[in-house]
Amino acid sequence: MVGLRIKKRQEPLVWSSCLVLLGALALSLAVSAVLLAIQGKPPVKAIALLLEGAFGSLWAIEDCLIKAVPIFLCSLGVAVAFRLQIWNIGAEGQFALGAIGATWVALRFPDLPGFILLPGMLTMAFVAGGFWGLIPALLKLHMRANEIIVTLMFNYLAIFFLDFLVYGPWKDPVSFGFPMTREFSASAIVGKIGNTGLSWGILLCFFSGFAIWVFFRYTRLGYEIKASGENIRAARYAGLPYNRLVMLVMVLSGALAGWAGFLEASATINRLQPGIIVGYGYTAIVVAWLARLSPAYIGIASFLLAGLRVGLENLQLELQVPAAFGGIMEGLILLTVLAGSLFIDYRIELRKKS
Amino acid sequence: MRKALHWLAILMIISMGMFLFSCAEKPEELSKKVKELQVGFVYVSPIGDAGWSYAHDQGRRIIDAMDGVTTSFVEAVPEGPDSERVMLNMARKNYDLIFATSYGYMDPMLKVAKQFPKVVFMHCSGFKKAKNMGNYFGRMYQARYLSGMVAGAMTQTKTLGYVAAFPIPEVIRGINAFALGAQAVNPDVEVRVVWTKTWYDPPTEKEAAKSLLDVGADVITQHQDSPSAQEAAQERGVYSVGYNSDMSKFAPKAHLCAPIWNWGPFYKEILEQVRQGKWESKAHWPGLDGGIVDLSPISSMVPVAVQKRVLNKKDEIASGKTDVFVGPIKDQDGKLRIAKGKAATDQELLGMTYFVNGVIGTTQ
Amino acid sequence: MKTDLLLSLLAAAVQSGTPILYATLGEIFTEKSGILNLGVEGIMIIGALAAFVTAKFTGSPILGFFIGGCAGALLAGVHGLVCLGFQGNQVVSGLALTILGVGLANYLGTPFIGQTAPGFTAVPVPVLSKIPVLGSVFFNHDLLVYFSYLVPPVMWLFFRYTRWGLGLRAVGEYPRAAAAGGLNVVSYRWAGVLAGGYLVGLGGAYLSLAYTHLWTNGLTAGRGWIAVALVIFAFWHPMRAIAGAYLFGGVMAFQLRLQATGTHIPSSLLLMLPYALTVIVLVLSSWKGLGSEAPAALGVNVEPAE
Repeated sequence: MVGLRIKKRQEPLVWSSCLVLLGALALSLAVSAVLLAIQGKPPVKAIALLLEGAFGSLWAIEDCLIKAVPIFLCSLGVAVAFRLQIWNIGAEGQFALGAIGATWVALRFPDLPGFILLPGMLTMAFVAGGFWGLIPALLKLHMRANEIIVTLMFNYLAIFFLDFLVYGPWKDPVSFGFPMTREFSASAIVGKIGNTGLSWGILLCFFSGFAIWVFFRYTRLGYEIKASGENIRAARYAGLPYNRLVMLVMVLSGALAGWAGFLEASATINRLQPGIIVGYGYTAIVVAWLARLSPAYIGIASFLLAGLRVGLENLQLELQVPAAFGGIMEGLILLTVLAGSLFIDYRIELRKKS
Repeated sequence: MRKALHWLAILMIISMGMFLFSCAEKPEELSKKVKELQVGFVYVSPIGDAGWSYAHDQGRRIIDAMDGVTTSFVEAVPEGPDSERVMLNMARKNYDLIFATSYGYMDPMLKVAKQFPKVVFMHCSGFKKAKNMGNYFGRMYQARYLSGMVAGAMTQTKTLGYVAAFPIPEVIRGINAFALGAQAVNPDVEVRVVWTKTWYDPPTEKEAAKSLLDVGADVITQHQDSPSAQEAAQERGVYSVGYNSDMSKFAPKAHLCAPIWNWGPFYKEILEQVRQGKWESKAHWPGLDGGIVDLSPISSMVPVAVQKRVLNKKDEIASGKTDVFVGPIKDQDGKLRIAKGKAATDQELLGMTYFVNGVIGTTQ
Repeated sequence: MKTDLLLSLLAAAVQSGTPILYATLGEIFTEKSGILNLGVEGIMIIGALAAFVTAKFTGSPILGFFIGGCAGALLAGVHGLVCLGFQGNQVVSGLALTILGVGLANYLGTPFIGQTAPGFTAVPVPVLSKIPVLGSVFFNHDLLVYFSYLVPPVMWLFFRYTRWGLGLRAVGEYPRAAAAGGLNVVSYRWAGVLAGGYLVGLGGAYLSLAYTHLWTNGLTAGRGWIAVALVIFAFWHPMRAIAGAYLFGGVMAFQLRLQATGTHIPSSLLLMLPYALTVIVLVLSSWKGLGSEAPAALGVNVEPAE
């Protein structure tokens, strides 16, 4: 009698993670194709349209890059928290708070020159987003409250708070009562690079990604976080300041998502409105996990998932595929990657059962 | 080194795929460029909901059936950068005419319109224009007024309930018109408003309707996309007024009438203008006169005398003899908003953010 | 008049809390076995869709209810497969399931948006519904609400007095000891995931068959997440889940009724109430509860022995 046994590997295989990712993508595409066929859409053509819409032209790539910026920042933040095994599901709310913080500065000081105003907005977004990440951390540390649920509920609170502001105190006097703030003054807007639609915010991505990479690779704090994430008890035993680390990662996590909010409000929409919330916070979780929490891979994965969103619109336009299809693909990709991680972390061997 | 090789491999695979597929699509697109007019629609919510987007889509189907016209749409597009990208996509694919059906699409549409001067853009429920961009809306408040008359005639508790989605001007305008219509028939009527903060969430809408029923409302109406408020009214054995489309099939024993949209003829008109090269950038705001809004058939539960009165009023408004927002109109706090004998201007209507006297609720 | 309003609010609390109750009970069952399933929101909405479609095509709401549960169990099975079969991280798997489930339900349900299906309507219990206060609050609802009264005590008895119930708890508390004692940990956990998923599916089915008779995108609107929080509030005890569910049902119903009475509080702030309350309740429960009620091995995959 032959059976299958799995044994944990000492070191997870590195090169196989690419293969696993590709395999997972292929499987997800296959299942998605089946679902499309169920609804009567031609599967192969649909996948082709999806890819074409995402990567099939220069402006598609540009659109992907634009969309990848907020996804990247949110994912980077989520990954920072996940490294410590802190399950921050609140990137959506932290994104909103960052946008709110930046908007406050923009509305309060519209006449300041850009080189003062923009850093001010950046700072406020950091503070607001970081704050929204800090509270769940404190609740976790002092009251043992499960951060998954707290951060999730905080998403709802943040979104309703945003609603309250744009329907009430911050409502634009000239927009006929529609829920949105005044348009930002020119100095509060992060400009576009040349003639493209891409804003200078992409520099913020490179900066943050690099900074986080350096942080985890070369600083002591970064090392402590990684170590604590592997084994909390051992880390505590070794005297690592777990509580402070938790607060640090949650502030960073929230702040990065907050920067994404700042960029969306300033560069993309030029004001604050409810439509700024489009689910980047949840996509960020998928991206962070796909990328195994590493900044470089997060860059690629953000681009790919931005591509998914962009390609999906093309699919809608050409084949009238319902908008909900995107969630299916994201969920499938994550599940297949999760399942596939088995092959990275474990070795499968045949055992003879006697 | 191994890692780098694998990155390179992945990149190569991806770029090959891109190249292949972009090649694969081109010949097809070329043959598509026959003289058909391509019209695109951008919807803010899914179309299957018997609501706002559904009504627009019904209009789209009418022009889709015409010769020499192909239409397409993208639904559930969030306002903001996503909508800009969708419209850009349509414009790049050489669409001739694009309709965007939500207020928040206004600025993105303007940006795209500037980049594609040959494409005609039409924005619904906004106010900005450009050489190749016009806007349009319908005077739904006129139909609301009529439905208010029906409700006012049928209520016994003198309390009407309004399940409303978001406190934006068009919704507030509709509530006010409904109240004015009801008060014209029954002066002491009050309208209570509950905000659900969603366009389509049946459980919440139903619960909101029940809350209104609990405070004594015996006619429920809504500015929502699902008919669950109608259901709630029927379950309690009271009346209801629908919205967007005739909702009587959901609540046959309760449904009295419904203010409905009829975008088809308008879309046809614009299409013809574009086809014949006669299109100009204008602000269109027809009402009952243009047939863009209407009142669904009134239920037989309503006394014939009332039906006659309502239909008479409909003709009066359609012919321009009277209108809905004619002063004196006071707001909730008693302040005079529209002077006696004066008719509200379009500007005042578009920016209406107060409730008229007799409406109970907050505008936030 | 005031008491009428209060009574109808309480009755609404019961009705509004019922889907949350089913979902909470399901998640309690799963977590007791040691598996954390954050996919409740996705499972609920899949259950709602399956129930709706079944009722629509067969004309039988009861069959719809049953199938809704089965669909829930099926989707939960994916989580089971990923975690128990592939040692996937339970937290992330559950989240993925939510994203997938919501997307799947909205996608497959697109042709059904705005349609109705035969469902359950209120059936007053013969004698009991006449009791002055309790009657209108508890005994004037549909069959599924009455059924939900039976599940918590049955579950409590199951966990307290049956061999399987004790086995399930053992697997959730000390899986290695349980395995050493001869219990098949994986099988028990599969049972936990599937049965829990079934109950969550029932909660979803309630939304599309009884609470309303319609289908639309996003029918669950976050109720699944509240259920996950309520599990902690209930200290993993089925009977306490009742209090939590009705409390939340009540808050949701309350803020709407507050609006109906003509308050000037902005509705965005009122809408925060259920979620703010969830946080407060969760924090207080976790703090006071000393965390000892949680199954000790919750969320941790059992690595295969050498």
